[in-house]
Amino acid sequence: MDPILVTNNLIDGVLMGMLYSLVALGLALIFGVMDIINFPHGDYVMIAAYISWLIAMAFWVDPSVTALLTVPLFFLFGVAIYKSVIHPILGAEPLIQIAVTVGLGYVLENIALAIWHAEPKSFPAPWFNFGLNFGGLSISVAKLIAATVSVISLYLTHWLLTKTKFGLAMRATSANRLIAPLMGIDVEKVYSVTFGLGIALTALGASLYMMWAQTNPYLGSSFSLLAWVIVAMGGLGGVVGVIYSGLIVGVLEALGNTFISPSARLAVIYLAFFLVLWFRPRGLFAKR
Amino acid sequence: MAFGEWMSESKKYIIGILVVGAVLAIIPFATSFDQYTILLLATALIYGIFVVAWNIIGGYAGQLDLGAFAYIALGGIVASQLMIVYGITPWIGMFLGAAASAGLAIIIGIPTFRFGIREVWYALLSAALVVIMNNIFHMPQVLGSLDHYLPSVSGWFYLEFPTYENIYWFVTVALMFVMLINLMISHSKVGYYLRAIREDELVAEALGIDVRKYKLVALATYASILGFMGYVYVVLQGTFSYHTFNAPESIGIAIMGIIGGLGSIAGTLVSGFSLKLIGDYLRGSLGATIPGLNLLIYGLLLVIIGIFEPDGFAGIYRKYFHKEKSASKVSKK
Repeated sequence: MDPILVTNNLIDGVLMGMLYSLVALGLALIFGVMDIINFPHGDYVMIAAYISWLIAMAFWVDPSVTALLTVPLFFLFGVAIYKSVIHPILGAEPLIQIAVTVGLGYVLENIALAIWHAEPKSFPAPWFNFGLNFGGLSISVAKLIAATVSVISLYLTHWLLTKTKFGLAMRATSANRLIAPLMGIDVEKVYSVTFGLGIALTALGASLYMMWAQTNPYLGSSFSLLAWVIVAMGGLGGVVGVIYSGLIVGVLEALGNTFISPSARLAVIYLAFFLVLWFRPRGLFAKR
Repeated sequence: MAFGEWMSESKKYIIGILVVGAVLAIIPFATSFDQYTILLLATALIYGIFVVAWNIIGGYAGQLDLGAFAYIALGGIVASQLMIVYGITPWIGMFLGAAASAGLAIIIGIPTFRFGIREVWYALLSAALVVIMNNIFHMPQVLGSLDHYLPSVSGWFYLEFPTYENIYWFVTVALMFVMLINLMISHSKVGYYLRAIREDELVAEALGIDVRKYKLVALATYASILGFMGYVYVVLQGTFSYHTFNAPESIGIAIMGIIGGLGSIAGTLVSGFSLKLIGDYLRGSLGATIPGLNLLIYGLLLVIIGIFEPDGFAGIYRKYFHKEKSASKVSKK
């Protein structure tokens, strides 16, 4: 195996891992704070990728720029979904939560299929889709930007959770949703903002992803499973756990890609997921 | 429940199964053997079987399994390859396919239930299983990326026919057997244990029920039925490949099961059969203009049913036609 190719793929894996962490963070927030199983989290990435593509095509700008519009738009979209569909199933048994959110995912996926059909869409004139060369190593600038923005956003969310009053309210609600309102916390507001934020993060991830990739109606399911794998590994151990798990998933994907075959990359990640669930059900980085 | 009462109760159900079988058997005559309609009906019926089988793990045991096509495809591919490579009749191959699927279920089930994986984690694990199997069979050493076809032979020995009515009747008989298995489970000790596990696993365990063992029994039964029917599914599709390990369709089976009503044999059968039939019909007629419309409808139905009527079709039926008998409300305390 060519060492340069392996290094290249590993760097790629690390950069992708950061983007996966960003998407998984929204899921971890929704699951951790609200105890809602947002099963098809990746379908929001898929829809956001289409919206990002539409805006990019309309204004002929790079998809990364469209995040300025998609992120606030998807925050509102998340709040709307929360009010209409998620609120009635708060505290419902897991099977009902999974059923309803899976149904919602099916709706999103097939709206995309009905409108844009199955052929993949991508922005034809991306600004950053080229490689930087360092003695044989080639690093994608687009992925580098995506990873940097992801890390900054992860840090900002960490700051929001740990250093602000609203973050304190979120953590208090997560710890005990019955006592939190007695402390003067508006739980309803915490929930709608959390869900909105979780969905807004998927939109950011999607706009970054579209800098080099293409979207199709089935993009969502692989993002959903990846995000859940990261949450399972991170074990709700906060933002740091999500970052480490994202890195592990990205690197595993790169290793599977390099040493087995590109079509087996998901199998490698999911086998690792089985092992984590079986042997470390609380995750690799859980605090308890 | 007294034994005599049980006999009369189950007699009622058995007569019901026979009536369903008889009605289904007549339908091809009513369509004057229109091949397109019979293929559509046979496909819908086999989905009925899948969803009724799903009822065992999803409805009785309460484990949201999203991995149906891991077992269907494995069983189907084992039986098909045995026939193609060794010329073994599917009458043997289907049992070996069922055994392979049950084996896979047991290999996955033992550690999963041993380590107490449930709820969303079980759902994810079963969904991931389909993708893993898909990736494994995609490797060039296994099936590669080509579509494989069954040899063009015909006769009962190969369960392949130039027309579809024989396979349709075969599926009808299989459906009656699967409903009978469901009925036996639901009225047996195992069925009561499984429902206790679904309602509250910790309480069930405290009452001395071997939770792991019975969940595994449910999973293996479900997997072997799917594995057995896999070959028929391949015959109806006409082809198999790594794509037969279909993750979205596996979620579809669970969706149909929930829409039908957890634990209801009639509800899951009606839901699996009618949703697949309507879905395929819509795909046939509107597919070119609005692809995915059938799945969009499933999704909307699921959201609406999940929010307003968590007992599915069976719950709606009980609410409007059998007001005095709300069995599920009692079981939910």
